[in-house]
Amino acid sequence: MSGAFTKSMARNIFYGGTVFFFLLFLALSFDTHSQLPKRDMRANITPQIAEGKKLWEVNNCIGCHTLMGEGAYFAPELGNVVVRYGDEGTKAFIQARPKDGIPGRRSMPQFNFTDEQLDAIVAFLKHVNSINDANWPPNDQG
Amino acid sequence: MQFKSQAVAKPYFIAAIGLFVGQILFGLILGLQYVLGDFLFPAIPFNVARMVHTNLLIVWLLFGFMGGAYYMIPEESETELFSPKLALALFWIFLVAGALTIVGYLAVPYATLAELTGNNLLETMGREFLEQPLPTKLGIVVVALGFLFNLTLTVLKGKKTSISLVLLLGLWGLAVFFLFSFYNPVNVVLDKFFWWWTVHLWVEGVWELILGSFLAFVLIKTTGVDREVIEKWLYVIVTLTLITGIIGTGHHYFWIGTPEYWQWWGSIFSALEPIPFFAMTVFAFNMVNRRRREHPNKAAVLWALGTGVMAFLGAGVWGFLHTLAPVNYYTHGTQITAAHGHMAFYGAYAMVNLMMISYAMPILRGRAANSNKSQVLEMWSFWLMTVAMVFITLFLTAAGILQVWLQRASDTPLPFMVAQEKIALFYWMREWAGVAFLVGLVIYILSFFVGGQEEKAA
Amino acid sequence: MCAMTAIAPTAPETPARRLPGDLAIWFFILAEMLAFAVFFSAYAFARATHVAEFNLYQQTLDRNLGALNTVLLITGSWFVVLAVQAAHRDDRPAIPRNILLGFLCGAGFLAVKVVEYAAKFGAGISMSTNTFYMFYISLTFFHFMHVILGMVILAILWVQARKGVYGSHDAHGLESGAAYWHMVDLLWIVLFPLVYVMR
Repeated sequence: MSGAFTKSMARNIFYGGTVFFFLLFLALSFDTHSQLPKRDMRANITPQIAEGKKLWEVNNCIGCHTLMGEGAYFAPELGNVVVRYGDEGTKAFIQARPKDGIPGRRSMPQFNFTDEQLDAIVAFLKHVNSINDANWPPNDQG
Repeated sequence: MQFKSQAVAKPYFIAAIGLFVGQILFGLILGLQYVLGDFLFPAIPFNVARMVHTNLLIVWLLFGFMGGAYYMIPEESETELFSPKLALALFWIFLVAGALTIVGYLAVPYATLAELTGNNLLETMGREFLEQPLPTKLGIVVVALGFLFNLTLTVLKGKKTSISLVLLLGLWGLAVFFLFSFYNPVNVVLDKFFWWWTVHLWVEGVWELILGSFLAFVLIKTTGVDREVIEKWLYVIVTLTLITGIIGTGHHYFWIGTPEYWQWWGSIFSALEPIPFFAMTVFAFNMVNRRRREHPNKAAVLWALGTGVMAFLGAGVWGFLHTLAPVNYYTHGTQITAAHGHMAFYGAYAMVNLMMISYAMPILRGRAANSNKSQVLEMWSFWLMTVAMVFITLFLTAAGILQVWLQRASDTPLPFMVAQEKIALFYWMREWAGVAFLVGLVIYILSFFVGGQEEKAA
Repeated sequence: MCAMTAIAPTAPETPARRLPGDLAIWFFILAEMLAFAVFFSAYAFARATHVAEFNLYQQTLDRNLGALNTVLLITGSWFVVLAVQAAHRDDRPAIPRNILLGFLCGAGFLAVKVVEYAAKFGAGISMSTNTFYMFYISLTFFHFMHVILGMVILAILWVQARKGVYGSHDAHGLESGAAYWHMVDLLWIVLFPLVYVMR
């Protein structure tokens, strides 16, 4: 082996390889975007669901929970919570949180949501549950 | 110190260490909340403490990157920094903005903070790691642009080495991919899809360029190995990083509503992601073994070797453990992810910053290296923090395996909270490992204040 | 080269078995081959669990076009070999000519592939249709992009060759690019039987 190993060749490969794989990533992303409408149920998104997503965000729910497995691992997965608790059960759970928490246990804050807000949150969570996410989670426990 | 303007790095390093301490303290609060659920509730709920913990991490790493870049670029370019005044001004802007953000998180409920800071104008808040209010996000952009402007002009007027080009590319990428944090569509699948363009393309993409460049710089300085050799290997490593890491983004597209071919693409390319980390470890050891001189700063060399090994273990091995789609189906969103996240961030990014600080700080304080006494203390802190992090990772991995078993794989899956209570023992052990980490960090800080016979300035 | 080292094992000045091109390109080639190898293994793994589906849909692929493409790529590789040989014997005009012919073979490959894709995409087939088509499109498209990259490299070599950069004194860059082009060819020679023919 001659051991010829030049820096300019290594640099060219770096630039070429990076551009190549970034373009490939863009191509795959492009294909994903053409497929997404069949999976993400975007046609069903109502203003109520949008409001629910906003409430989900401004109350930082992801700071304790996961949604489709992403978020914090302190509290249960909520992508399928409507399967576990049902619509009314989910609302009742959120409403029933004591202001000062439950002694000794992981406690969820009391957010004082109005009925409309609770409906919006549940609508959002039901929407997430309807997304085709390749059968994740493995079972209803999340 | 070869150039006067390198001195602007010093406040950045000090701020980075200060914020690091804050991050660890909040980490201990979180760890305690895992086992004593109502600890500090409702004053500091878990989500707030976690936000402080992760945001402080990001901010201190950014301070470290900036400090490292301000130190390195003048020396590489062989010219003074374009504007040291701008660098100092941006330091204060960033520090004050960061501090106000943290105060905001702690002082008012998150929803109120969102209301107060104009989240209604452009909804960007409430997504993991990107919780910052709009003004903070804009501030980050302004600081990043000013910082890049300053560095780019410095490089343009001076010598353009491969190390500074790779660093600049990494930093520009950091700024560009951060822009995706402003895109938050109502469609939650699209939201998550592009959220990863910031998060993944940062930590498994452009940040690795910064990491590689810092490592190469310190290796050149401490080993005296020929620059040509080191720069060639730097290119090889960052090429491997990007050709595996960019498509490797696919390992986040398994279960969020994206097409199922990502399960193959993501698994295949992320299975190759350990290779660049392995190459980096081999590279660091190889260069140190071929060293042509004995640099008096032994501690910096230890961090350099440590970051290679720990990044390989944390990002490479622990990443690979759960990256294949059939495995990830069960481990997605469990403590396994937390285990990987902790060791990968510490090994790759915390340690590379500590390496840079370890190398540059003595020089900024007017000596080639700290006294032997101080270095011994610093090396103790290296081992304490690193071993503590290994144990944190091991305990979280054990917790994660049990969680997967109890909650997902068994024939009679348990509810989340029931499973959590059964694995509490591991959370307690993790918390004690966390305490050991804090002790290591305290010793690290003490090492800056130990006197003794210092090495003369080079 | 082999013969020379064999007859003069003691002479220290004997050129050792030389790796043509730059070592850096060989790292890259190894990395690329590894990525393909993992992809091929994934194909084999997926096929083992969906044998009937793979056999069924494999028959919908156009093997004639695939065979034509194989011929085009092998011919392209042959021209590139001629270009390198021309450089070693300092036959300056032959270098860019052969590179150009290799480039045209690559262009032919792309044209054939576009015809093939047009038929498949026209029939509404995508990566999300089924596992077989996922692999068919992924593997061939990944390779397709490599052909384009290879052609970009050949184009650069052609420009350099016309400037007279390469000759027996320096064939380093030419050999590096040629090695990459041969890899693209080699990958197709594995891919074609695996995806189109083998059952």
